Amino acid sequence: MSIFRLQTTNGTTFEFDDEAPAGSGGMKDVFFSKDRRNVIGWYRKTPDANAMERLKNITNLYRQRIFEQEGGAYWESLFCWPSHIIEERGLVGVVMPAYQSHFFFEHGSKNNDFLGIKGKEKEGKWFASANHQQKHLDPRERGTWLSYLTICIKISRAVKRLHMAGLAHSDLSYKNVLVDPAGGHACLIDLDTLVVPGKFPPDVVGTPDFIAPEVLRTLKIPAGTPGKFLPCIETDRHALAVLVYMYLLYRHPLRGRKVHDDDAQRDEELSMGDRALFVEHPDDLSNRPDPDSVKPGFLPFADAARIPYTICGPYLKEIFERGFVGGLHVPSQRPSADEMERALVKTVDLIQPCANPSCDQKWFVFDNSTRPRCPFCGTAVSGPLPMLNLYSSRGGGKFLPDNHRLMVYTNQYLYPWHVSRAVFPNERLTAEQKRPVGYFVFHDGHWLLVNQTLTGLKQVTADGPVPVPPGSSVVLENDQKLLLSPEDGGRLAHVMMANV
Amino acid sequence: MRRLPVYLLLDTSGSMKGEPLESVKTGIHAMLSGLRQDPHALESLHLSIITFDREVKIVVPLTSLETLQMPEIVCPDSGPTHLGAALEVLTQRVKAEVVLSNEEGKGDWRPLLFVMTDGVPSDIQLYKEVIPQVRSCGFASIIACAAGPKARKEDLRALADQVVSLETMDGNGFVSFFRWVSASMAAGSAGQGGGSGGGAQLPPPPPEINVVF
Repeated sequence: MSIFRLQTTNGTTFEFDDEAPAGSGGMKDVFFSKDRRNVIGWYRKTPDANAMERLKNITNLYRQRIFEQEGGAYWESLFCWPSHIIEERGLVGVVMPAYQSHFFFEHGSKNNDFLGIKGKEKEGKWFASANHQQKHLDPRERGTWLSYLTICIKISRAVKRLHMAGLAHSDLSYKNVLVDPAGGHACLIDLDTLVVPGKFPPDVVGTPDFIAPEVLRTLKIPAGTPGKFLPCIETDRHALAVLVYMYLLYRHPLRGRKVHDDDAQRDEELSMGDRALFVEHPDDLSNRPDPDSVKPGFLPFADAARIPYTICGPYLKEIFERGFVGGLHVPSQRPSADEMERALVKTVDLIQPCANPSCDQKWFVFDNSTRPRCPFCGTAVSGPLPMLNLYSSRGGGKFLPDNHRLMVYTNQYLYPWHVSRAVFPNERLTAEQKRPVGYFVFHDGHWLLVNQTLTGLKQVTADGPVPVPPGSSVVLENDQKLLLSPEDGGRLAHVMMANV
Repeated sequence: MRRLPVYLLLDTSGSMKGEPLESVKTGIHAMLSGLRQDPHALESLHLSIITFDREVKIVVPLTSLETLQMPEIVCPDSGPTHLGAALEVLTQRVKAEVVLSNEEGKGDWRPLLFVMTDGVPSDIQLYKEVIPQVRSCGFASIIACAAGPKARKEDLRALADQVVSLETMDGNGFVSFFRWVSASMAAGSAGQGGGSGGGAQLPPPPPEINVVF
């Protein structure tokens, strides 16, 4: 061990071990601190004045804006944010938190880790590829479909927070977002190249697979020329939509069968850039993935006819259509990170456990059919399946639909954000709001909603309201109406039964 | 899924016997296991290994990294270095193995070629004749490694886009060379079609290797 004590530009002291390399990226050589809680990344190329100015802003002003506000601690697990700058013997380094241990493979690959990846970083590409998922990764590393929804929510939320602060990541990709599907964690890294529109231009165009079509199309135009596109918030939105699509469907939204040029390089530029076309474009079928041309490990996900994007439910269907049909070449139409987060959160309420214990994905989105089945393994749902369509009061006893539905399964909870339109499950939830107010259970051939703490829960019947006090339960029936809260913004749930 | 075909041409002439060949084998093993830990390389990389001494042997035909099993590589006690003949075989293999794009579907990425030799081509006439054919095979990049003091860099410059030289033929030199080759392949499999709009971007060679201009 060879410990160096170094002082940051603002006077904080860190001790680093320059015999404990923590990996290197394209730009930096990285070493652990003595206590292993931080790392220092030394820039191989000394940052220029503009880059230094940006680093100072990132470690000070922008950092404060996000972390030193009420609820700022929430973001610490979602960003690996540079905290200090060190200038030493002509070198410039940046201090960042070390990656949390769940972002390193615990089990690695199958067959006693035949690839030898145990202890390595969980690069997102392992999880965004159906073949790696099915043929290489140890099942304990893979997580379930619900865990991918969870990591997508975290990624979207983190990107939303950056965008709210006027910052663009500029290089979102599975390389720069650490994921832990097994534990449902995600974290944005490589934040030292953040883009501030109009102030700090981007250093990079992004990573293949995630570069926005307009950036790739205008790659060869010199910077500063009108019509040249550089990474910005709109291109982050494209990258985010690609990431979410890949984590939920294990295939790329633009990599299909259409050949644009005999030269592979040129074909790549066109298919990701000027002539980019969604593989599931509803009217143009020419870029559908070819399931016959792939190794079996990519199936069924490489077959868009078997696993179409619509299996992600109605909210994400609309988001993907805006991202890859309407907004693919029209950056202003792309869904924002906030809209992505909301769609993902609402999709969690549509999810059902698969009855097949050996189903790889374990969870799926209810497809609004009367005879639902798991799209991944084909197992049918057995027994009645209640769903609560949520309406909210807009004053005067008028309830309007919220385009929000809650699917019921055993031990599904009812939360404050189901009860009131005024509550949304995001980083601003209070501890009180995170507590369930009721739960659902199948008992004696009936589905019950057990009320835990809702004081205003009533069943609305033709004969007037029937209170369901805390500690009691109500049997769910088709066409039943439950008033969850009498307050303004309070919800009315209309019960529907599928699979009966 | 586009494949990235990579051809490795290795000199197994008599002078490689002993430590040099053992170091090359160690280097290749380390390279393969390192590449298998890279999810991008593991998905797209396909590798072929051809050795040349008096004879040219296709030790591994173009095979995915996933399924590649490394066979034993041996070299004779002495004998010529038939690099020209090896390149001739290479051009036939590329024609047979690399899939071109057509209306039916997407082809492979443009292949990469790495040539490693510690001497001079014994079949220099054939070597010179076959170079234009190799260059017309559509390689994205051809890299030659001149190992040790007897390798003639001038000969290799006619073939390769880039010639690197290993001053010494010890284990460290070969291991660092294959580490660099591996980084180049990983960059190729992750980065094709990427940012610069050019071909695969090679990372800078390690300090132990000298680039010949």
